[in-house]
Amino acid sequence: MIEIDHLTKRYGATTVVEDVSLRVDDGTIAVVVGTSGAGKSTLLRMINRLIEPSAGRVLIDGEDTMSIPEDQLRHRIGYVIQGYGLFPHRNVAENIATVPRLLGWDKRRIADRVEELLDLFQLDPAEFARKFPHELSGGQQQRVGVARALAAKPAHLLMDEPFGALDPVIRSKAQDDLLAIQRRLGTTILLVTHDMNEAFQLGDRIAVMDRARLLQYATPAELLTRPAEAFVEQLVGTAERPFRLLSLRCVQEALEPGGAEGEPILVTDSLRDALSRLIWTGRDVMPVADSAGALVGRVSVKGIMEHGRSLA
Amino acid sequence: MAGLAPAIPIMKGSAPHATGITGTGPVMTRHDEGEIDGMHSQDAGGAIRAGSFVNTISSRTTAPDMPSLRPSISLDRLGTVIAILIGVALFASPFVIFRANRIVAGEGRMLVDALPPSGAIGVTIVALGVALCAALARAPLIRLAAASVGLCVIFPAVGWSAGFVTPAGNTFARVSPSLGFWLLVLSFALLAADALTRLRLGPWARLAAIAVAAGAIALLLSSGAWDDLSLLKEYANRQDTFWREARQHLWLAFGSMVAACLVGLPLGILGHRIRRLRTALLQVLNIVQTVPSIALFGILIAPLGYLATHVPLAAALGIRGIGAAPAFIALFLYSLLPVVANTVTGLNQVPATVTDAARGMGLSARQRLWQVELPLALPVILAGIRIVLVQNLGLATVAALIGGGGFGTFVFQGIGQTAIDLVLLGAIPTVVLSFAAAIILDAIIDLSRRGS
Repeated sequence: MIEIDHLTKRYGATTVVEDVSLRVDDGTIAVVVGTSGAGKSTLLRMINRLIEPSAGRVLIDGEDTMSIPEDQLRHRIGYVIQGYGLFPHRNVAENIATVPRLLGWDKRRIADRVEELLDLFQLDPAEFARKFPHELSGGQQQRVGVARALAAKPAHLLMDEPFGALDPVIRSKAQDDLLAIQRRLGTTILLVTHDMNEAFQLGDRIAVMDRARLLQYATPAELLTRPAEAFVEQLVGTAERPFRLLSLRCVQEALEPGGAEGEPILVTDSLRDALSRLIWTGRDVMPVADSAGALVGRVSVKGIMEHGRSLA
Repeated sequence: MAGLAPAIPIMKGSAPHATGITGTGPVMTRHDEGEIDGMHSQDAGGAIRAGSFVNTISSRTTAPDMPSLRPSISLDRLGTVIAILIGVALFASPFVIFRANRIVAGEGRMLVDALPPSGAIGVTIVALGVALCAALARAPLIRLAAASVGLCVIFPAVGWSAGFVTPAGNTFARVSPSLGFWLLVLSFALLAADALTRLRLGPWARLAAIAVAAGAIALLLSSGAWDDLSLLKEYANRQDTFWREARQHLWLAFGSMVAACLVGLPLGILGHRIRRLRTALLQVLNIVQTVPSIALFGILIAPLGYLATHVPLAAALGIRGIGAAPAFIALFLYSLLPVVANTVTGLNQVPATVTDAARGMGLSARQRLWQVELPLALPVILAGIRIVLVQNLGLATVAALIGGGGFGTFVFQGIGQTAIDLVLLGAIPTVVLSFAAAIILDAIIDLSRRGS
């Protein structure tokens, strides 16, 4: 759990982060969004004390970060930045082994952990362990960057624009992968981005920042239906709002009894995907299947529309 | 051989003071010190110049446009020039010079008069064969082999010629290589350098090549094949002083380099951290660098002389107004700028994301320096050390002027006696050492570029 308590950062007369408080619960992802210069990165970097706060405090699992020596604190918190900052003179295995080596793990344990992480990130250890960063594609570098941050099994992970350097196709795959790994490991993540779609795809809760202030910290649905300020509404995008809402809801919610023609959609897929496929295939209804593949009902354009209106 | 040392960028990055070095190497800039020093700086600077010269030529010859009237046989441009040079060397230049004693003017001997008929014919055939390979052969390996065979033939041949030309029992006569021999050496060396450049050898192969070359030279010298050459006769007369001065030369060059590293690296690291210190430091060192070496020796005489007379400990340590101490200090001061500037530049070019990630993962300041910043800056720092070493090996020659010893002793004695062989006895080892240092350090720099 990460608790940010009345955190403020000033440089001379300029306030970069003003009195921000928020809490990231265990095993959840909080995404901080905002325009550039809003103070997002500064907020993030005050958590692992790369920047010392002017006022306020940060608690990690209830422990004040100022009471922990800063290097030890950082060993406990994973850190991923845009561009990843992989060590160019060290190969993939050595990069991933950075924090375990600082912590003095024995060689066997480090080697096992490196292999485990490479497998987890779908990088074949035989092929990639000895490669140097410049021999990797952008997507592979990104995965090594996250693997390195997770090497010493930190309970918390800070990510500053971790997908910013990826092209859109790889980015969306990388986001899905991160989500899957996060669900599996139960890591608590605080992620900074300026990409609203990314925020909605990843965030259990989203914090909107503008000009040093935290405007709203809420679930994606709340942000859409009850934006605290005009700026939040503008950032969320009024035209996008219904589709974003539908993308947060799964087919289960608009499930109707009965059957229909065509390829079934999964109950766990989003209503947005369902609507999109209905439009594209030119049908009014489509069958719905559960994860085992058994048909459980159907979903219709009308049903989705009605459900969507009820959300607003 | 020069082609083994591709001209490496001395400094990259943002340091505004870097231009003083990048534009023209410090060794080459010091032309303002009168004739004596001018000679040495040509020698030492030659290593760098010859390298870039060969690179330019080879890049031209590899250009695809090669208009030829007969497509079946195409002429290589550099090879043609080399072949012409070989022709001039064989048929229009004296191979050796014979002198009745070491200081009178000599008379040239053409190849036919310099060797017994069989030897002269053999050398001519080999040299013409090399010329043919240079003009027609394309494969770099064949060209390298031809050049090597050529060098392996003419080096012993010139020694043989000395024995042949010297009248039996005459110990005053001197025979030295002449234009023809030097042109042949130049042609073969150019061909070899061009071939080596095209082969793009890795660092280990380059180190192996220089080891082979060093072995061949050692073999040649120890075999006695050159004992009748004037250069070796000068050496024979000064055998013990030669090695003493050699040790002194190496001590001056390497000792001042090590001292400059011990002081310059920490200064560079500090300068990287503290901007104001960096600016002041580099400005002062830039000024030092512009002081001509003889002037710097002169400037040092007064304070060191004062120190020697007033501080007994300094005198006991061998510090005097003249001698090795001011030479060592001057070389040390010249060495500081490349070491400090390249350390600063090397550390500056470590990517900010890398240091940020290192901090974020909890590497302490010391761990970041040793594990991340210094390894990444190492190639640039080594490039600075390469400059220092090549510069010092050349500059140490001037130390002899103030009684500092080194190979310069022979150079200045030789100039005083107008004995050119004695000058060469001091100059040739200096040039060879500078070449070797440049090639070895270039290889080490390549080896230090891990993962880039």
